[in-house]
Amino acid sequence: MEPMDIVGKSKEDVSLPKATMFKIIKEMLPPDVRVARDTQDLLVECCVEFINLLSSEANEVCNREDKRTIAPEHVLKALEVLGFGEYIEDVYSAYEQHKLETLDSPKGVRYSGVEMTEEEAAAEQQRMFAEARARMNNGVAPQKEPEPDRGFAVPDRGFAVPDRGFDGVNADHV
Amino acid sequence: MRQAGVYSGILCGKNGPHSLPLSRIKKIMKHSGEDVKMISCEAPLVFSKACELFIEELTMRAYKVTVQGKRRTLQREDIATAISATDVFDFLLEMISASVATTATDDVRAAAKSA
Repeated sequence: MEPMDIVGKSKEDVSLPKATMFKIIKEMLPPDVRVARDTQDLLVECCVEFINLLSSEANEVCNREDKRTIAPEHVLKALEVLGFGEYIEDVYSAYEQHKLETLDSPKGVRYSGVEMTEEEAAAEQQRMFAEARARMNNGVAPQKEPEPDRGFAVPDRGFAVPDRGFDGVNADHV
Repeated sequence: MRQAGVYSGILCGKNGPHSLPLSRIKKIMKHSGEDVKMISCEAPLVFSKACELFIEELTMRAYKVTVQGKRRTLQREDIATAISATDVFDFLLEMISASVATTATDDVRAAAKSA
């Protein structure tokens, strides 16, 4: 395999999902307009080229400002430099709106309504398993390890451990 | 079911949000050059919206060509014509001349020059 083939193939792999692109394109056009399959492919290629161009320019803008990370501001500046200044307003307002929307969801909350980290959830699960085992062994509840007071109120999720009918009778007894 | 937050979700079409995957955009960005810096987590979002606007402009310009030709199917040549007729799309000229019939592109260029 020629080295150039490998380079070409790696570039081919990095593309945008055609189905998503096709949906976006279809919604822009009147419903009775059809788009040939190879035309969709060409539009995807154009979009990838656009990202390449914008990335390169944003990288340059970032370099000129002596920054290490490409930020949205660099991308907006790149749009202006490349002649896509009319996009800036829409892009910026969409970005601002997204920031507002993501501000509502606090970090670390994985389950709605319950503020618990993964470690706490795992510990809680282990405690429930221990309680269930204790019920199976005829009500001898294990001694609870003193939990550090973190000030969290652990809500009662209402887990009901089904009563399997063990009442001390040896299960092997026939 | 895709995980929430992975997609930009900025564009809300008629049938609900259709948006480009941020991970793919980030990949393309990293492949765009040899010395690409680190990318902030918000940058792909901005790229996604810019891409959608770009595709919209290119598609609508190509569609006008389709309508002028009294057709209802968007063809590659329509895109080529739209690219040739728009200055900001010059970066695509090399790409389309490689994929679309050269004669069609040459005709359009000659017409644009004589205008």
